[in-house]
Amino acid sequence: MPRMDLGRRIAERLAAATAERITRTGLDNEKENRPSIKHSVLDLAPLPLGEGDRAVVVATGPSLRRDHSIERLKRSGFTGAIIAVDSALGACLREGLVPDVVVTVDPDSARIVRWFGDPTLTEAPKDDYFRRQEMDPVNAYDEVARNKELVALVNARAAGVRVAAATAASSAVVKRCQAAGMELYWWNPMYDDYDKPDSISRALHRVNGLPCLNGGGNVGTAAWVLAHAVLGKRRVALVGMDFGYEPGTPYDKTQYYPEIVEEFGSRLDEVFIRVQHPVSGEVWLTDPPYYWFREVFFEMVGEADCETFNCTEGGILHGPGVKATTLEEFVNG
Amino acid sequence: MTDYLKGNYKVDAKIEEPEADAPTSTDEFEKKALSRLGGSICFVSKKGFIWKGDAADGSGTKDR
Repeated sequence: MPRMDLGRRIAERLAAATAERITRTGLDNEKENRPSIKHSVLDLAPLPLGEGDRAVVVATGPSLRRDHSIERLKRSGFTGAIIAVDSALGACLREGLVPDVVVTVDPDSARIVRWFGDPTLTEAPKDDYFRRQEMDPVNAYDEVARNKELVALVNARAAGVRVAAATAASSAVVKRCQAAGMELYWWNPMYDDYDKPDSISRALHRVNGLPCLNGGGNVGTAAWVLAHAVLGKRRVALVGMDFGYEPGTPYDKTQYYPEIVEEFGSRLDEVFIRVQHPVSGEVWLTDPPYYWFREVFFEMVGEADCETFNCTEGGILHGPGVKATTLEEFVNG
Repeated sequence: MTDYLKGNYKVDAKIEEPEADAPTSTDEFEKKALSRLGGSICFVSKKGFIWKGDAADGSGTKDR
């Protein structure tokens, strides 16, 4: 078997595996969230969220910090819509940038609330996710103190920020957003083919009346979908959307390392995938989930009614339908 | 085939053919791994970006 085949083979099977793993929890969370549903995500469309037809999606890949993307975005005087994924909220607020919309999708009940600051956290959890993850590395040291700072920051600056929340989001996230004065706009994840008679998506829509968004596997892609398919933005830029780890990242500093090492042991070199950046020549490391996100994005971007600009200056999202440029060129273009 | 090919010797080793539908260890291994990996939201291929329901079945007419 040629080297690398294993990682790509796993990536090809992750659409079905994801549906199998998260659907039940997502549906349970929807039932719990139903009393809180007041606004549809479609209610965001007529609101004045940024001027003109441009939007920037802020994701939290390593290039966000390496290239100082948030600082540059703020300095650029960009007047379009700024849409941040949940894990970018803290980084944005620390730089004094308040997003127009924050997107949250993951049904996890313990981890995701941390992106908003978890007021119930009193000691470092056994789960080392926040100490290990690359999305907001300030949590790597003294995460209890960092969490406390984030709670205060969100309480002070995020009131009134709109949250585009998947009905699959955990009640912990919902309660935290409500407590911070954030405004929730709801949508259903598209779980399956709504044209099939036994479709979960169709049944869910019948129950709560909300639109179903095709999330593309991850919150960053869901934010991009929101930008053009809901808000009607026609030129959408991406920052921090790397779908990978910068050159030199050790395996144990990657998101799925515990799961991968437990299942594949010494075959790590076969599971992880390396992708060369066409401009910089850098070789970025990625894993099967991120590689799947990339392949899905390329499938979706061909059908999108918008131009997509990758301003990450790194990562593995380069190819047909995605225009590579700098953030400044996008803002001034 | 065994009706036509007959050797003039006997072998000591017992040869068992694997059952045709039995999963390989690689399949089992990867299936177990897949149950722990993946995304935070589904992707549905070739179904567009947003579905607001069908007017025909009444599902798209709710006030949201």
